[in-house]
Amino acid sequence: MSANWPERISAFSRSPSQFLCSTTSDIFLAEVLHELRDDRASDHIKVLLLSPLLEHPTLLCPSVSVGEETALELMSVFAQCSPKSLPLRCHLLLALTSVLLCSCCVSSHTSASQDFLDLLLQMAQDTNDAQAGAALHPLRTTACDCLRELEACLPGLLSQRLELLSTLRQQENSRLHQAYTGLHALALRNAVYLLTQQKGSGAGDLKGALGSNEGFVWGEGSDSAHPNSESHSDLALFSPLTLGPMGKVPSLQTGQDCKELRSLLSSLLEESYLLTSLSQAALLRRLVEVLAMVPAVSPTIFRAQLLRLLGTCKVCLLHTTLLMKAAFTDSLFSAEDEAFLLKRLVGLSQHPLLSTPEKLFYMDCILHFPENRPISSSDESLPVLLTPRLAAALVPTVFNDSVSMLARLNLLSLVYLEEGEEDREGQGGRGLAYLYDHLTSLLHIVENQASREMVVTFFRASFLFLLHFCHVERYSEDLSQRLCDLYLRRTRLAPHLINLADRTQDRLEESGWAVALLRALQRTITEAPLSQLTLQDLRWHLRILARVAEEGEVLQKATLNFLLCVITSSSSALCVSGDWRLGNGVLGVCRRLLLHPSLDSLLTPLADLLQHLTCHYGETDIQDHARLYYTLLTTLSQEKLAGVLAQRGTERGRQAKVRSLSAIMGETEELTSGLTVHQTERPLLRLVKHEPDDCKPDHKPDSEPACETESSPGQGGIEEYRAQFQSSSFASEITLQYHLTHTGVHDPHFDKLFSIRLHFDLTDSHYEEVSDISVPCLFRTRKPPTVTLRLKPKQPYHTTLRASAIFTTEDGLSWHSPLADLNVAFPEVFLPLLTPLGWAREKKQRVFEGIWGEICSGQSEGDLTNAATSLFCDQLEDSAVGELVEKHFQRYLVSDLDKGRCKVLFFLPPQSHVLLKVITEEDAIQVHIATDNWKLLPYVNSYLEDITKESHSTQQVNGDV
Amino acid sequence: MPQLRLWTLLQGFSRPTSLCTHLHQRAPVDQAHTDSVNLCPVKTLDKWRYPTVEQRAKCMAGSLYVSVPEDGTVLQLLLTEMGLSDSDKPYMALRDDCLHQQRSPALELHVEGPSSGRVLWPVLVISQGSLILACLAMVDAPADPRPPLASLFSVSQGLTLLAGLQAFLCGSGSKPDREGLTSRLAMMPSILLQICPLGTPLDIPQLGASSASAMPTPAGTQKQPAWKTGVHRGRAVVNVALTEMVRSMQYGNRNRQDLWDVYGTVTCKCEVEGVLPNVTVTLTLPPNGSPLMDVLVHPCVSSLDASILTAMSVEDCDSSAFSGPYKFPFSPPLEPFRLCSYTSQVPVPPILGTYQLKDDDNQLRITVSLKLHESVRNSFEYCEAHLPFFNRDQMGSVDVKVSSGQLEVSKEKNLLVWVLGQKFPKSREVSLEGSVSFSGEHPGPTDPLCTDLTAYIKLYFRVPDLTLSGCCVDQHSVQVYSSAKPRIVTSRELLSSEYFIWNSTGTAPVSSGHMML
Repeated sequence: MSANWPERISAFSRSPSQFLCSTTSDIFLAEVLHELRDDRASDHIKVLLLSPLLEHPTLLCPSVSVGEETALELMSVFAQCSPKSLPLRCHLLLALTSVLLCSCCVSSHTSASQDFLDLLLQMAQDTNDAQAGAALHPLRTTACDCLRELEACLPGLLSQRLELLSTLRQQENSRLHQAYTGLHALALRNAVYLLTQQKGSGAGDLKGALGSNEGFVWGEGSDSAHPNSESHSDLALFSPLTLGPMGKVPSLQTGQDCKELRSLLSSLLEESYLLTSLSQAALLRRLVEVLAMVPAVSPTIFRAQLLRLLGTCKVCLLHTTLLMKAAFTDSLFSAEDEAFLLKRLVGLSQHPLLSTPEKLFYMDCILHFPENRPISSSDESLPVLLTPRLAAALVPTVFNDSVSMLARLNLLSLVYLEEGEEDREGQGGRGLAYLYDHLTSLLHIVENQASREMVVTFFRASFLFLLHFCHVERYSEDLSQRLCDLYLRRTRLAPHLINLADRTQDRLEESGWAVALLRALQRTITEAPLSQLTLQDLRWHLRILARVAEEGEVLQKATLNFLLCVITSSSSALCVSGDWRLGNGVLGVCRRLLLHPSLDSLLTPLADLLQHLTCHYGETDIQDHARLYYTLLTTLSQEKLAGVLAQRGTERGRQAKVRSLSAIMGETEELTSGLTVHQTERPLLRLVKHEPDDCKPDHKPDSEPACETESSPGQGGIEEYRAQFQSSSFASEITLQYHLTHTGVHDPHFDKLFSIRLHFDLTDSHYEEVSDISVPCLFRTRKPPTVTLRLKPKQPYHTTLRASAIFTTEDGLSWHSPLADLNVAFPEVFLPLLTPLGWAREKKQRVFEGIWGEICSGQSEGDLTNAATSLFCDQLEDSAVGELVEKHFQRYLVSDLDKGRCKVLFFLPPQSHVLLKVITEEDAIQVHIATDNWKLLPYVNSYLEDITKESHSTQQVNGDV
Repeated sequence: MPQLRLWTLLQGFSRPTSLCTHLHQRAPVDQAHTDSVNLCPVKTLDKWRYPTVEQRAKCMAGSLYVSVPEDGTVLQLLLTEMGLSDSDKPYMALRDDCLHQQRSPALELHVEGPSSGRVLWPVLVISQGSLILACLAMVDAPADPRPPLASLFSVSQGLTLLAGLQAFLCGSGSKPDREGLTSRLAMMPSILLQICPLGTPLDIPQLGASSASAMPTPAGTQKQPAWKTGVHRGRAVVNVALTEMVRSMQYGNRNRQDLWDVYGTVTCKCEVEGVLPNVTVTLTLPPNGSPLMDVLVHPCVSSLDASILTAMSVEDCDSSAFSGPYKFPFSPPLEPFRLCSYTSQVPVPPILGTYQLKDDDNQLRITVSLKLHESVRNSFEYCEAHLPFFNRDQMGSVDVKVSSGQLEVSKEKNLLVWVLGQKFPKSREVSLEGSVSFSGEHPGPTDPLCTDLTAYIKLYFRVPDLTLSGCCVDQHSVQVYSSAKPRIVTSRELLSSEYFIWNSTGTAPVSSGHMML
């Protein structure tokens, strides 16, 4: 088993959902924990085993109780670990943190999380390796990391321990002081924030908090029992205050007296140099937040660090200065500083030694530059100080990579847009001319066999240019002309051009540029000499013309003439070749023309074209479609034609027609969309469990020969019982019955449903595939039909089935609707002892005793290596036992309740048995359990717990009454 | 908290880094100049999820929360967004829509199709060679309206971490060596545990710290920097190396101004005893040298004078500006590091060239002349001029004479390599003349930019012990405050980088806006 752990873990990590199809999360978790406790497993494997808990704790520990149990297990593994297994112990701490936080144990204040916190704090207090020695550095660091994560997820948890954290930080001289600093800064920030939220707190409270050394603060106040971590209404605890959406920072009125805080901050700042850049940046940001909340301390204490930060080559540190600037504006940065910072950003955006992502980030920072006195607050706006002259350093060139090029084009477009507004002529200045030149040089590259990436980049650049400068006709008109020329040379760019037209039409509706482009493309295609037309080109032309035909404003005469020429010209091999796809392309254009507002003027040529296709096209399918279009064109009025063909904008009643005419859709994509099964927004149907009146099993194997009433008396009968299983179909199924009904969603459209086909998908591999079930009809007014679901278990576990339905509504549309997941509970898998007809009670009992004996003696006749016995006890009064037996065990009784004793046998297909001997003594119930499949024990146990719990509650209710 | 929800490392694709890829590569035509479509399957080499961060992300985003799908889906979405999926299809709406504005360092992954609005953002990506490093930063602000990228602290943290990991995995060279990469990849899980526990980036992995000489710190009152794994024991040595790169675009055209500039880096390796030893390196310029601009310093530099930062390349230089000496006091880490970098504008390019092509009936007549400026030391480690030709058939006859050096012809690659060797002749001028016919049977390499007579020469050279800016580190100016007197080694060199001379009879692409505006 252990040999394949690496493989199993990596399979889990690759796709947990797929992995859990073949097992359940609780089994997997149990296996993992079992292996972790195994002394023979190596540390390396154990570290690996922890990764599912580190990465997917919510999958494995979905509830507080499972999380708590798992955490206790992990803590005991941690306690038993050899002190030398450092990596394992570190991983255990991290896994514990993940499990406890993600299963909400910490927010529920469970005992395991309390113990864990104590453990962490105890480890963290060993500063300068006074006790454990330097070898334990990694462990101590990890303990601090875990504490920090706990504080981050439950802000304020350590807010009453600031003094301790401060002392630890000051004492530590090894590299670990970084971990203490991070922890301290976060706790400080959260504590100050919580103070700002308390009415009337001031300097005294702040001083108190800084010197506090009490316990942990669980949740948002000790009185509230356990705030769920998801119910934190106060998101500001997680988010950086200084840049909140309202820009409003809560403040703590302390007066001038906050010496303690000031000295604490200076000591943190002084040591910031000793931290790694990433930690330094995180610390500075925390301090910025603290200072923003305590106005009494002036932000000028950052001044000593500023030059060092402004000159840094690390993006995280420079970013921190920008955040400082956003928080403190002119109380920390003079106008000169601001100008310097902006110039610095422009310089960095094109620095030869920085990486592309860094440069892109700096460009983004220019677009969101925190100005001391911002004028507008729109999404992307240029800082006032960014002059065209300064921005010229960032003009796009063909030497840029495509992302940088687009970023620069965007930035410069904004710059020149402003400039253009100033020069009043609206024609743009030299800057705009440069951008357009750049666009044309990109176009030139695309013309010359550019790679796919360059083509895409060019169209993105064109779109960006049009977004900003569509109104400058000089350029937008020239661009559309150039695009037409480009298209003729590279017809396979058709999808890109259509995409560009679509997008500009969406975004720049009033400009009309897209229509102009389409018109120009139509002209280009129709006026090009036919002699040079290749079939490949024609295919793309048809795509473009179909798109052009969607525009009501564009006259379609030219298109029709072109098509007529192509189809009818004697030189054309098109008709003869009978290419189905090309034929469809032509029909696609025709179909749109049938909907065109100027159809009246197109009538004759279109009819000619369709007729020619009908008679001469070398493909029957195309001929048929053309004939249909011809008939529609010549017999229907324009309105009716539109009604028949139009897809969008019709009300539901019409859609039935659309679908029945789906075969006329000329293009493959429309063909499929016409045949599409529609999707309901919400589940419309549900399956409600239906208990048949007669509890008798209907699994009697009818193919089995009926046994004589008393065969071979004295024989154990167990062989005979076993013999039944030789038929593979014997007792292999469980049958569940449901009513199929509507859900609460009331939509008269779905009142009558026909041809319902229910489909079930397995979520694990414990069962054989379930075949679909057909239900003829379901009317809201009639009795719900019964659905019988037959399940064939491979493993007798509970399961969940994913159900969906396809059905037809009255108007002939097909719909697909998901159903709520179907849960098959563990007891639903039970069957009673299956014996041939007419067996006497005693004989059944003999079978029971026989199996019981085999299990208990451990003498395995068959494959009884999986056998196990167990005992379940609970307090239950005598009367309740009777009720319990009657309610839950009646079907499965082998011997009736007699003097508080009875025998119960559950058979679980395909081959498992669970035998119970129930014994009641006074107010207690003992259930002796024997099974030939030990893996079922946990389920049996929880089943028994459930039913006895139920009895308790009914007893309670009875008592109350 | 500035945190990451996910980080992932992929391998398998190579993609062009620039619109005109070859122009940026060290040896331009060595690589097959194709579309860089590499069809080997992309695989996830390493990845990590941070569930506790995920929980907070869920809290922050509320109803707009989008959970991270499983690895396979993430991979597919990422490749689509990067334009790398389905490379056999010329157009895919999902991938190539012009509405997708890829113009920031952060990508959006459309989890349930582009119209669903379910978006994972911001996904930060760095790719080098066939490696793609990506992480999803946590948005620690209300999700609606989407906060600007520049306001998210986790973004710069994520970028710093990715860049650090990239440097660690790929080393300093542009291409990762295979064996080193494999061994470093094996270390990734434990490294990530140290530098990014529970999704919080704390550090970047250190490269090449000599662990042999590093000793654990003695317990003392001085706090040890977190970026230093121990202290140095042994002989004190300080090594300061100054490398300058020169770029140039020469057009030989009166309407278009030639361009050149210089950027330099100072790399240090300091083996000095003490927990926090002080070292000062001073850069000096010659009396009328133009100031160093855009100075960037390593975070170990403890203080900076404001005047050092004032000069910037994006604005006109003030002749009265501060021009040194540039003092950099710092406490060195154990590993070699880049102390500072700068850019500079120098009055003349080291080599001035002209390049003329005449198309003569499928034959190109070539005239080249190169002149070494008199201020440049005539002592190269190597000097080569590469003349590639694109969009033509393979070379047939080559009839070219050079006044100095040798000519190597690579007919398959349509490349002439003019090896100039260690020295220019006394006159400091060399020339190349002749004609090349393109009568081969097979087409040569293609390039979308270099069509017709658009062609270039690219120069490769290295001059030891020289900087163009005149910047230097005097051995005596390196101050080390420690008990033992250290050995101090300084060096400098000049390297070419993107040094192009364009054919003056063809159209040449614009490389910078400054001259156009």
